[in-house]
Amino acid sequence: MNTKLKVSEISKIYPGCMANDKVSLEFRSGKIYALLGENGAGKSTLVKILSGVVKPDEGEVFLNDESIKLNSPLDAKKNNIGMVFQHFNLFETLSVFENLSIDSDKKDEDLRVLVNDILKKYNFQIDLDIPVLNLSAGQKQKVEIIRCLIRNPKILIMDEPTSVLTEQETDDLFISLKQFSKEGILIIYITHKLKEVLSLCDEVAVMRKGKVVSVSNTIDEKIESLANKMVGENLNTIKKKINNFKNNEEILKISNLNFKSDDPYETNLNNLTLSLKQGECLGIAGISGNGQNELFQILSGEIITEGTSIMFRNKEIGKLNPRERREYLMAFSPEDRISQAAVPELKIYENVALNNFKSSNFFEKGLVNEKKIKEHSKKILSNFSVNTDNVELKSQFLSGGNLQKLIIGRELITSPELLVCFNPTWGLDVGAINYIHETLIQINEQGKSSILISTDNDELLKLSDRICVIYKGKLSKIMNADTVTAEKLGILMGGGSID
Amino acid sequence: MSFDLNFIGILIGAIMASSVPLILAASGELITERSGVLNLGVEGMMIIGAISGFALMVVTDNLFFAVVGSMLSGLIISLIFGLLTQSLLTNHVATGLALTIFGIGMSAMIGKNFVGIPGKEFPLLFVNLKESIPFLGPVFFGHSIILYFAFGLPFLTNYFLKKTKTGLIIRAVGDSPTSASNQGINVTLVRYSCILYGGAMCGLAGAYLSLIYTPQWIENMTGGRGWIALALVVFATWSPIKVLIGALIFGGITILQLHMQAVGLRIPVQLLSALPYIMTIIVLVVISRDSRKIKLNTPTSLGQIFYKEK
Repeated sequence: MNTKLKVSEISKIYPGCMANDKVSLEFRSGKIYALLGENGAGKSTLVKILSGVVKPDEGEVFLNDESIKLNSPLDAKKNNIGMVFQHFNLFETLSVFENLSIDSDKKDEDLRVLVNDILKKYNFQIDLDIPVLNLSAGQKQKVEIIRCLIRNPKILIMDEPTSVLTEQETDDLFISLKQFSKEGILIIYITHKLKEVLSLCDEVAVMRKGKVVSVSNTIDEKIESLANKMVGENLNTIKKKINNFKNNEEILKISNLNFKSDDPYETNLNNLTLSLKQGECLGIAGISGNGQNELFQILSGEIITEGTSIMFRNKEIGKLNPRERREYLMAFSPEDRISQAAVPELKIYENVALNNFKSSNFFEKGLVNEKKIKEHSKKILSNFSVNTDNVELKSQFLSGGNLQKLIIGRELITSPELLVCFNPTWGLDVGAINYIHETLIQINEQGKSSILISTDNDELLKLSDRICVIYKGKLSKIMNADTVTAEKLGILMGGGSID
Repeated sequence: MSFDLNFIGILIGAIMASSVPLILAASGELITERSGVLNLGVEGMMIIGAISGFALMVVTDNLFFAVVGSMLSGLIISLIFGLLTQSLLTNHVATGLALTIFGIGMSAMIGKNFVGIPGKEFPLLFVNLKESIPFLGPVFFGHSIILYFAFGLPFLTNYFLKKTKTGLIIRAVGDSPTSASNQGINVTLVRYSCILYGGAMCGLAGAYLSLIYTPQWIENMTGGRGWIALALVVFATWSPIKVLIGALIFGGITILQLHMQAVGLRIPVQLLSALPYIMTIIVLVVISRDSRKIKLNTPTSLGQIFYKEK
């Protein structure tokens, strides 16, 4: 089975943005192709066109030298093009089997046999009769893949599939993808992670600002060469010097904290104990959904805890709400930039005012002092190199990276003693990630402390002085970062133990 | 003794009859909401159904045309809602409220010439059995065909949603219209169909009032039943069987408190009148407190406008 897919001179224009600019590429079965680029480079638009979700303004798609029309997702299915989206296209409240049967013409009994065969063949372990919302991210992705496999795809497109996976799950995924490729399925793999390109793919096409800037064999490439092609400039890699803070003052102490949630979809925290020294960065690793959300909320005061179990600078803060905690010089950068950290419909300066609404500078006798807030906001924009100086801009028009810079800037401009951040670089491109990392290292150098809850192990190893792992609501032993490796973290994140 | 038992049977029969419009309207709205559309126009669609059913009965002298016509008119008025919310992407809540106001005004205007005209007798089934069997007779027999349909409807709805492919597609659209669209499901078509079905059921509910329950036209005769039906759907956490239970409790306590008022108990009338509302909510909240089930039954995209990427 030889498949050849060719896109020719594809262009797609969105208001104010050339998402795809005369993109031409060729793919053949038996190989795994990487489509590499920063956020906004046009990768996702291209795969949306290939899966029939979006129509191109110009250009054609050829399958085995025949021009095909992809006007709807149904057309893509008819042409045996399967697509696994970055944000899963699953129905959370339906069972796994219902999710699979919804677009299959087969009888339920036949489908079940087929699905069980697929599960066995690729060694997937998924209960077909539980609702999807009970699955882990890795399992959800497997459901998406099975949904494609049911239709005997010739082409399988994966859109940033590892952004939600653990290292172990990523390894499993790569094994499956290589197996699919051997079986003759053409695989197009979209990512902005360079390591993955080198370890998985045979050929790599780099996109920048809607254009294909390079096509090459991955054998000829290195991480640095790909990074430079992707960003279009030379990047310096940063590495933090790990310090020993044994003699520094203890700034935060949590002892034996328990949290039991009423919501069955939240994680309970058991016997949580940690301490943080001044100037130190404590990294907390883990697969998402193991209690990170709850831990962040307990630290930020969104969840109020009873008794004396959280001491910050010798004060009990367990009962304080987020605003009161900020007055004690704590600062927080939540995971979800859009819904938790900022209100997308509000303007930049309004968002800046939101977490300072006690400040007497900003509000006088209940009235908003716009001038002062705007000056303050301008300072944040320039100090934290946000790519605009227009404080009247609605926050939703900022890119992820710029919004994150604004949020961290808003927190740091008040010089807090402790910054708690949760996946601060999630979904950002290399340039923005670099900037955020530099900023986080800087605050430690200034003697301020930070807690970094992250699902990105590279980031944790790069920034932390000490690291621990959260698994099913329990913290592992806290280790010095120089004794920790990615392998160790992987074992702990999967519930294993090391000694 | 047999007299007392028979009286209780008649009482139960009356309770069943009074809950029919609620069951019909709520079952229809349940399907609409399961597809992610929040139509607050239930009251308006019901009253349009009531007047058009009654008017057609007077004009054609044919009850079959009247019933079918009421469903069609409910469907047509819900089509307005569909056009606005699905094609012109207006806000569901505002459009639904407007639909209710429109329906009430429109029905009053059409109904002007029909006030005071007596209704026609609606054929009841198994009248002999009703009179010959004590207690069970008046409970199960001597009702209109619409009542039997209404009591079967929640079970049909439940089966439809859980076991059929179309039901699965409706639930999928209500869960995530974007995912459904990416799977090649025509979200707009599914939602239109559900809106129209809901409209037809509300029309039928209205016709039951004006043709069978109180066979005449009175302005504003739905008297807030549409709003109760809406509340039932939510408090029953989108489960058709719980809608049936809720409707029966509401109908039951409405009838019972009327009897209590008639007997002259020393309880304030206002409290008695409020009783059906309070009890229905309490019972439904108690039987629906399984947060896991709520999460699985609630249409996640309820009330959200869906537009397709182009």
